[in-house]
Amino acid sequence: MVTTQSSPTPTPTPAAAPAAEPSLIYQPNVDICDLGTEVLLVLDMPGAAATSCDVSFEEGVLTVQAQVPPRQLPGRQLVQEYGIGDYRRAFRLGDGFDASLITAEYRRGVLTIHVPRLAAVQPRKIEVRPA
Amino acid sequence: MSLIPFRTKRSSGMEPANLATISDFRNEMNRLFEGFLNRPSWGASWFETAEPGTWMPAIDMQESDAEIHVRAELPGIDPKDVDVSVSEDRLLISGEKKSEAERTTDGWTHRESHYGSFSRAIPLPESVDPAKVTARYDKGVLTVELKKSPTSTSRKVPVMAK
Repeated sequence: MVTTQSSPTPTPTPAAAPAAEPSLIYQPNVDICDLGTEVLLVLDMPGAAATSCDVSFEEGVLTVQAQVPPRQLPGRQLVQEYGIGDYRRAFRLGDGFDASLITAEYRRGVLTIHVPRLAAVQPRKIEVRPA
Repeated sequence: MSLIPFRTKRSSGMEPANLATISDFRNEMNRLFEGFLNRPSWGASWFETAEPGTWMPAIDMQESDAEIHVRAELPGIDPKDVDVSVSEDRLLISGEKKSEAERTTDGWTHRESHYGSFSRAIPLPESVDPAKVTARYDKGVLTVELKKSPTSTSRKVPVMAK
């Protein structure tokens, strides 16, 4: 099954990138749906640039990252209920998934990842024939 | 039975995975505090809550000399399902987020997102011209630009001495 987990890599430290201001990294909210033949991961990532969305799979861990451009509106900040920062979240996949067929699409601030099950473990109905 | 000596494990306590967990926790706490501490003193109630069965999007508001910008995080929404209405001193954002799950009613093993009706009434710091409001939706973020009403320009009031 798919389980959420903390990112396996530490946040880059200022020492690793001394010139850049270390930005905040947020975990996007996720919904997970088991459709039988595949598992859907639906991540809310408002503000992320579609081209910056990066989905990678390595050693059983599916990692999602995306960059969000900084705020560029002029004037005085009156209310700030959400922070702007990049997104990152990792998921450990169990056995029985076909990592080579994972697909992802980004639309309206939502990244949807399709993680198909291996054909051998997909649920199937077995026909009972009359003798 | 022998006693097991108590000792700290200096080497195993701060491995990268643990550091990442601490970092994530710190980020989440920052986010909570940002939302809590940056509430306006002039407007929304500290205890503002959504109606039962509905949810409220998080917002940002910025003010320049002539304009007010309000942004709301509304990921996964069809722009046709968002209503924006403005009176002189209040902006109302409402609508409905339809679930991706409409293709299936079961199978959801983990839910963190909000679905269903949402509504947010946002008191504005100054009067605006309802005829000059624009709203656009991009990458899951709704941005509303409001022009301040010329009549709302602040005026210096002389203090009369008796």
